[in-house]
Amino acid sequence: MTKYLDLSIIEINELLKSKKIKPIDLVNECFDRIEANKSLNAYITLNKEEAIKTAIELENKEVDNILFGIPIAIKDNILTKDLRTTCASRMLENFNPIYDATVIKKIKEKNMIIIGKTNMDEFAMGSTSRTSYFKAPLNPWNQDMITGGSSGGSAAAISARTVLLSLGSDTGGSIRQPSAYTGIVGMKPTYGRVSRYGVIAFASSLDQLGPMTRNVYENALLLNAIVGKDELDLTSVEREEEDFTRYIGKDIKGLKIAVPNYFMSDIVSDEIILKIKEVIKLLEQAGAKVDYIDVPYLNNAVTLYQIIAMGEASSNLARFDGTRFGYSYPNPKNLDELYTKTREEGFGAEVKRRIMVGSYLLSGDNAKEYYDKALEIRDDMKKSFDKVFESYDLIIGPTTTTTAYKQTEALDDPLKSFMDDVLVIPVNMAGLPGLNVPVGFSKDKLPIGMHIIGNSFEEAKMYMLASYIENKLNLNLNPEGENHE
Amino acid sequence: MENKLTKEEVMHVARLARINVSEEEIERYQVTLKQLLDEVKKIRDVKDCDKELMFSPTTHLARTREDEVDNMVSFDEIKKNAPKVVGDYIEVPVMIND
Repeated sequence: MTKYLDLSIIEINELLKSKKIKPIDLVNECFDRIEANKSLNAYITLNKEEAIKTAIELENKEVDNILFGIPIAIKDNILTKDLRTTCASRMLENFNPIYDATVIKKIKEKNMIIIGKTNMDEFAMGSTSRTSYFKAPLNPWNQDMITGGSSGGSAAAISARTVLLSLGSDTGGSIRQPSAYTGIVGMKPTYGRVSRYGVIAFASSLDQLGPMTRNVYENALLLNAIVGKDELDLTSVEREEEDFTRYIGKDIKGLKIAVPNYFMSDIVSDEIILKIKEVIKLLEQAGAKVDYIDVPYLNNAVTLYQIIAMGEASSNLARFDGTRFGYSYPNPKNLDELYTKTREEGFGAEVKRRIMVGSYLLSGDNAKEYYDKALEIRDDMKKSFDKVFESYDLIIGPTTTTTAYKQTEALDDPLKSFMDDVLVIPVNMAGLPGLNVPVGFSKDKLPIGMHIIGNSFEEAKMYMLASYIENKLNLNLNPEGENHE
Repeated sequence: MENKLTKEEVMHVARLARINVSEEEIERYQVTLKQLLDEVKKIRDVKDCDKELMFSPTTHLARTREDEVDNMVSFDEIKKNAPKVVGDYIEVPVMIND
């Protein structure tokens, strides 16, 4: 078997430019590896025929950018024209989008090749990818373990090296948390960086798309390709064009870093705390200034998330009524039965629970009592982050409280999926960018991740720190490889 | 405090969400919805600094687009995903209850 997929994207780009390899070589290798890793369940739908066709067409085109001909996997809540998009739900089991999401247009403009649609929690609701209608993806480091979620398929696809790049979405940690559990780099950009047009909405004021990749540099490359103001998403932001790789490899001396005490409290396992402290020591040795500080409201993030995310979800998912697309209950007596039976049979248990709680929270006086109160605290939380960034460049801490746990654990606990994201949710509340970078392994040889939080639109600075850590630790992040210490 | 919702409370919430629930499911929801709602209610004990609401992280002002027809899709495309189509219409059941 060829091993082009183990090369860096820079090396692959050179080989493509000098015609030593063709895009089809990469595509074939992807599908070989996907086949060899079938048991991981990382993909819901493969785009084999179309990917091969595109690869052959690219042979007659000039290699005009670094991502030309690079295979990419797409989370299955992002619309891809004529390629089934299920959101891992029975509701959309046979749904074929009639247009591309804006990010997909951008990916196609750069001539990347879409390999398939990745597994996830149903409608991105969950922290383990176990709520998928298509069976949970498995963690390449240990198949008894969860991948995390909701972008668990994208995480497994990258971690197992079946593809070079992937896209995920992050409403309350869904890029960063599975990235931590599977030992990859995942970036949730600033809210508004990436257009959400064509992304199946979960909680519109929190959702953001981002890259999930093998390493920091390739993550920044993919972010370069997908950002930008979009007339079709009025929350997307106009910014001057920038190269997110520009600080990679730069000296971190003098960088001011804050570590919130809450992130290092007893909610986090000892093993992870120890690893993060080791990294902090490295950063101090390199001349960064690291302070432990109190950040108010961080401990309220999960409650805020439950109210805001479930509220917004109940409204966004009202569109699934069996009328215009998706699953439709056959032979209903009347319109009401069409709605209620379609939603009963089309949605899974987690989604239904969240819609119900969300509907309740937004009904009548509850909207004021809970939702408005949550928005007040959200504003306070944002302000407390603003205050930190007056004195510091970046915030760091662990991404998760534990390493990946067993597929069979905590299946009946409706709160567990929220608690898994306790360290990553505050970032979505404030619309800030957050990134996971792998920093080591547990004694059970499962990956541990560090969370880097930046001020709005300061992704480049986050990549600078992440690349320093990546370089310094020089971990072997291929589950098939050796030396996972 | 009772550690589960009443059947009627579950039915009410399911009605708000337009989701049909079976008898068996009601029993489960009595427990799990209660657990979630208890969590959510913790928000009442949080002390806030000011009364400003944050609806979205977006700080720029929303503005209207030019009123131009753009980005059209044909009905032929739309109907590919519709459950029931008759001619140029999507068919739905009668709206008046029997």
